[in-house]
Amino acid sequence: MSRRTWTMRWLTAVFAVMLLGAACTFGEGETDGDGGDGGGGTTGGEAVTLRMWAHRSTSFNAALRNAARAYEAEHPNVSIELETFDYDSYIQTLQTALPAGNAPDIIHMFGTWTCSYADYLTTVPDDIATLPDAQTAFFSGPLGGFTCDDALYGLPQESNVEYGATLVNTAMADAAGVSTDGWTSWDELIADAKKVTVIQDGAITRAGYHFTAGDGLAHSFLSLILQGGGSYLNADGTAFTLDTPEGERALTLLKSMVDQQIIDPVVYNDEQNWVGDCYFTELCAMGLVGPWAVADYKDDYPEVTANTIYLELPPLEDSKTFIADSGWGLAVSSDSPKADVAWDFARFAALVPENAEAWNLTSGTLPALVENAEGAARDRLVGAFPHFETWFNILPNAQFVGQLPDRDRLYYEIIYNHALAAFQGGETVDEALQAMEAEANDTFG
Amino acid sequence: MSEAIGVGRRRRWFGGREGAQKRFVAGVTLPAVAFMAVFSLLPIVWAFALAFFDFSPRRAGSPFLGLGGDNPFVGLEHFKAMTDFSADQPIQVSQFHTAVKVTLAFAFLVVPLNLAITLPLAAMIESVHTRVKPIFRTIFFLPVLASSVGVAIIWGFVLHPQNGLLNGAITRITGKTTQIAWISDPSLVYLGIPVALLAVLVAYLWQDIGYNLVIFIAALQAIPQSVKDAARVDGASAWQTFRHITLPLLKPTILLASILTMISAFQVFDLFQVMTDGGPQDQTRALSLDIYRNAFRYQQMGWAAAVSVVLFAIVFVISLAQTRLLRNRWEY
Repeated sequence: MSRRTWTMRWLTAVFAVMLLGAACTFGEGETDGDGGDGGGGTTGGEAVTLRMWAHRSTSFNAALRNAARAYEAEHPNVSIELETFDYDSYIQTLQTALPAGNAPDIIHMFGTWTCSYADYLTTVPDDIATLPDAQTAFFSGPLGGFTCDDALYGLPQESNVEYGATLVNTAMADAAGVSTDGWTSWDELIADAKKVTVIQDGAITRAGYHFTAGDGLAHSFLSLILQGGGSYLNADGTAFTLDTPEGERALTLLKSMVDQQIIDPVVYNDEQNWVGDCYFTELCAMGLVGPWAVADYKDDYPEVTANTIYLELPPLEDSKTFIADSGWGLAVSSDSPKADVAWDFARFAALVPENAEAWNLTSGTLPALVENAEGAARDRLVGAFPHFETWFNILPNAQFVGQLPDRDRLYYEIIYNHALAAFQGGETVDEALQAMEAEANDTFG
Repeated sequence: MSEAIGVGRRRRWFGGREGAQKRFVAGVTLPAVAFMAVFSLLPIVWAFALAFFDFSPRRAGSPFLGLGGDNPFVGLEHFKAMTDFSADQPIQVSQFHTAVKVTLAFAFLVVPLNLAITLPLAAMIESVHTRVKPIFRTIFFLPVLASSVGVAIIWGFVLHPQNGLLNGAITRITGKTTQIAWISDPSLVYLGIPVALLAVLVAYLWQDIGYNLVIFIAALQAIPQSVKDAARVDGASAWQTFRHITLPLLKPTILLASILTMISAFQVFDLFQVMTDGGPQDQTRALSLDIYRNAFRYQQMGWAAAVSVVLFAIVFVISLAQTRLLRNRWEY
């Protein structure tokens, strides 16, 4: 065999191996460089390495990494490797890894997702926290997502709120002669929103109050049903009750804001001029979005942030109750061979007040622990994020939205589409409510 | 005797120059075949299997691939549900019907428009001076190389109601503030077609015409000059030559281009996802987007698989019909 033939064969073989290697190393996961076996000594007992997955976010990942390093310092035999994925990949990776038995020990889980993955998760051991313990320690909003059929599947770290208070641009308010003392009724809010709305040649070039993004619209509608004395679920949670007098009142109130031209949902919605972009690019004077948005935009829009406050939304009746999704927290995979250590880390990060506070400070999120929303911890969080103050006042009014069969479809394809159709005249309020209820009930399967 | 034949066969495979060539061919094709089998064939088979189950990756199911148990076998139930046209049909069925309509409208608009643009353009480019041809080819082919997501974002900027170039130009011309929501106003409909769908269509054509253009230019160059010369000698005008000589000879290429364009039009996902996200009011909810949402947003993997089987069937039938209709019975 000639030298040239040998060379060709070798090159072919090397190329084939490289192809195979490339095929086997696809994926976008990022692993902590310093997570490895950094603390992997054996001074405290058997060496344990835990894998933890999270969605990619600078502040959230830094907070989780800090918690991991702090735990490793106390438990030198344990090392925790953090692997992160971009948001969409994270959802898909969880969907495939959990059934395949390839999930990590610890999963940073969005509370509202938890019950849909309960088959692949372990419940919180009683020596970490019983359900009554957790109900005392955490706000009901964040805890609700981790509670499935009266069993606890995770420990929440943040309160995820989208309704209850609105961003207000104080410079625009001052220029329009609007007081920023707050409102006692929706009529007052609408009147002020009209003053800060700018209309040119019949087109709304600056929206007064932006509530027509997917989350804001669904949270507004469902919260107003509660405040009106109704309920969007029947007593045993097996059917939606949206086509009710309370539902009609809620949707009519929201539609009235469109009719009074403080927002044009065709121009300001989820796809275009989303509320965060709209507010911080000064195309909206007020906008309905949770406090995380300020942390997200403040570096790019420091001047707008300096003129930003949150004001509490007025109640519909006397009730100030509003719905909230469950936030991010820690869950443990049923595949974990070291579930006891994984749960101990979850306890350390989410239940020990000073560690939970450190996590909220680094991630810029509202606490899930009741204790951290009071006293000195609250002062420290408000000192770091002044926008939290309004939210701390209303957090006790937050109620978990409930275990919905298909929360995303309900929010983004049922309530959003039919509410916008009602606002734009494509459907009457009655038609929209009937369609919403019928389609929402289909999601129960 | 048979042993001798066997030895001979083995020699042909493993010995001599021919054997070495065959081993080389096997060696270099094996990785590609394995890749196709693992990443194309297997998922297709899996998708077909899932279409007969009420499968969600959130449920554990039986130990065998998660099929059965909480992910039960439902036979043809998904396909039966798709034929439910009653007023109280479930939302996923009504969205499927919408998606079929949107996808068919998009694909059947894309193909004729694409051909109507690329064929004359190719003929024009082919008629210019040889030195200039590559410049035009490059200009028209450049958008094909652009990322679809990038294209979607750029067109999103162009069509933005407040900061968009198009509304900016209209405002300049009319002197009145214009905030037309080209891709988010469900009431904007032209000739029965939602403007949002037309906007995605324009972006798609802008990006895609370069591909067919290059194919047509190559086909035009392959037509023997002698045939055209003969027509001219017989007194045919330029239009008659194009109509009766060039066009018939391009039939196989037109068939190829129309099938490829039709298939890719059925598969468009990124433009719909980034430009409109299926909105407004599901007016641009294409089948690919419907499959993605059901599979990965709502974890209805069984239903999504059934929809993808339907998409496969539609593409297959239409491709077959096109092949039959434009079949060529002669060659030059």
